[in-house]
Amino acid sequence: MTDFFLKRLSFNIVANDFTVAGKSSSAIKNFLKSMGLEASVVRRIAIISYEAEINIVIHSYGGKLHCDLYEDKITIISEDTGPGIANIDLALTEGYSTAPESVRELGFGAGMGLPNMKNYSDDFEIKSSSEGTFIKISVFV
Amino acid sequence: MNFSIMLDKDKCKGCTNCMKRCPTQAIRLIDGKAFINSDKCIHCGECIKICPYSAYSPESIEWYEEMHYSSYKYKIAISSTPLYGQFPKGTDICKVQNAIVKLGFDYVYDASWAADMVAKAIKRKIDEEKNIRPFISTNCPAAVRLIKSRYPSLMEHLILLKEPMVVAAMIAREKAKKKYNLKDEEIGVFYISPCPAKLLAVTDPVGDYMPYVDWVIPLNTIYGELYRELLKEDNTICSYPSLNGLKWAVAGGQSESAGLTNYIAVNGMENIIQILDEIENGNLSNVDYVETMACVQGCVGGTFNVINPFIAESNINYIKSHVKDECLNEDLERFDEMYEEGALKFGLKAEETQNKFNMKEAIMNKDKIKEIHDMLPGLDCGSCGAPTCYAHAEDVHNGESTLYDCVVLRANGKI
Repeated sequence: MTDFFLKRLSFNIVANDFTVAGKSSSAIKNFLKSMGLEASVVRRIAIISYEAEINIVIHSYGGKLHCDLYEDKITIISEDTGPGIANIDLALTEGYSTAPESVRELGFGAGMGLPNMKNYSDDFEIKSSSEGTFIKISVFV
Repeated sequence: MNFSIMLDKDKCKGCTNCMKRCPTQAIRLIDGKAFINSDKCIHCGECIKICPYSAYSPESIEWYEEMHYSSYKYKIAISSTPLYGQFPKGTDICKVQNAIVKLGFDYVYDASWAADMVAKAIKRKIDEEKNIRPFISTNCPAAVRLIKSRYPSLMEHLILLKEPMVVAAMIAREKAKKKYNLKDEEIGVFYISPCPAKLLAVTDPVGDYMPYVDWVIPLNTIYGELYRELLKEDNTICSYPSLNGLKWAVAGGQSESAGLTNYIAVNGMENIIQILDEIENGNLSNVDYVETMACVQGCVGGTFNVINPFIAESNINYIKSHVKDECLNEDLERFDEMYEEGALKFGLKAEETQNKFNMKEAIMNKDKIKEIHDMLPGLDCGSCGAPTCYAHAEDVHNGESTLYDCVVLRANGKI
């Protein structure tokens, strides 16, 4: 099977704007739901894309969120420019958080973002440098 | 038993208020009159509440005939928790119960007793089963159906405890059978309901259990009779409601009566939708219980109530602080036994499996709908008979409507 997606939904994510944080992942969720995709798959994508979006808002200087539809899977791609993740293994530990207090007060940054994304995925890929972070997560349909 | 929300076509002016209000987009205007798609309807009653012309009403239930001319040997009424809030402050609760009996029943089982029991069950299930968070309440049938239709992945969060109406009917029926040596069909159980969703809960429960209720009487249809009986002086019997169970009439009451400390009590359709979105995104897993009530202020805000929800709430609070807690509900002693044998829990009815999902086909359909949607003006005016331009585009795609129904396109000469 060729590895080209059949459709891509793309969103610009603005750093630090909590008034619209969650809107893009909501749009992805509602799109997949209205397609008639199985509820459990939609749920997993909803959690993954929401965490990805919030991560861009909290930790980066801004980025993009893509939802790619393949015949047999949905892939979420999150790419941002920013300081990157210093220690990926540590970031994948449940409860570990580098979010500032001001963000935690809003109820975000509990240190479950990346671990959750990984737990709900069938395929998880992450690359990070001092220029930014790239995450690619797939859920099989 | 058959129920649906009825529309008086002569009263309906086709104003689009109900169509725009409907949380599941179940309403369309056909030939200028509202039409409810019963497959999508969750019986929340929003259309009844919003209609400026009072065109909607519950399908009339011949409760009078059922009570007086049916073959039931024993007739049980289940009073709902908001009922006591429908009478002026200081009204003797015993009189309310007597008034119900005098309408033609043999016995009144107070839903507050059952609510008290379900509250215990909520607490126990939350304490014992820590793998699901948050649990979502299964008391409000409209909220449960909203989850079923719009948030199917959250069905696994439902606490799956029978609602007080069902528990009350189950216990009352069982007791009557034993006491008077009756068969099931000789007993008629009538629930005096504050809301249309309870009718759906009886005719088509989401759970795999018998509803135990035979007839659901909209509270407003018997209110006049009740009130007249109330004014008469001749008290005979009385058994007090459970003040703890009575809390269920008002939003937050379930959690309060169960003694929970970490819960969210959300009411009103728009608010519920926001909270369900949060849960779906994986949030709120640090909360034990989410109490979802479709009506504003909870059951006191039910469509079939007569008194304003805030006044009714005040009335209920007055009862809670002024009536002596003299409820002697012996059934509560059977709680542990009933919980352990599973009588308070339920499982979900098996659903038919859907057709196999085809990604290519699904994308093609979405693209076609988008193509149609792009032609529409995006005003969501409702004049075409669909609640939004997107809904209209879907209808056109499904062959249920045409682009010609769009008045804006017609006015601009684009069609």
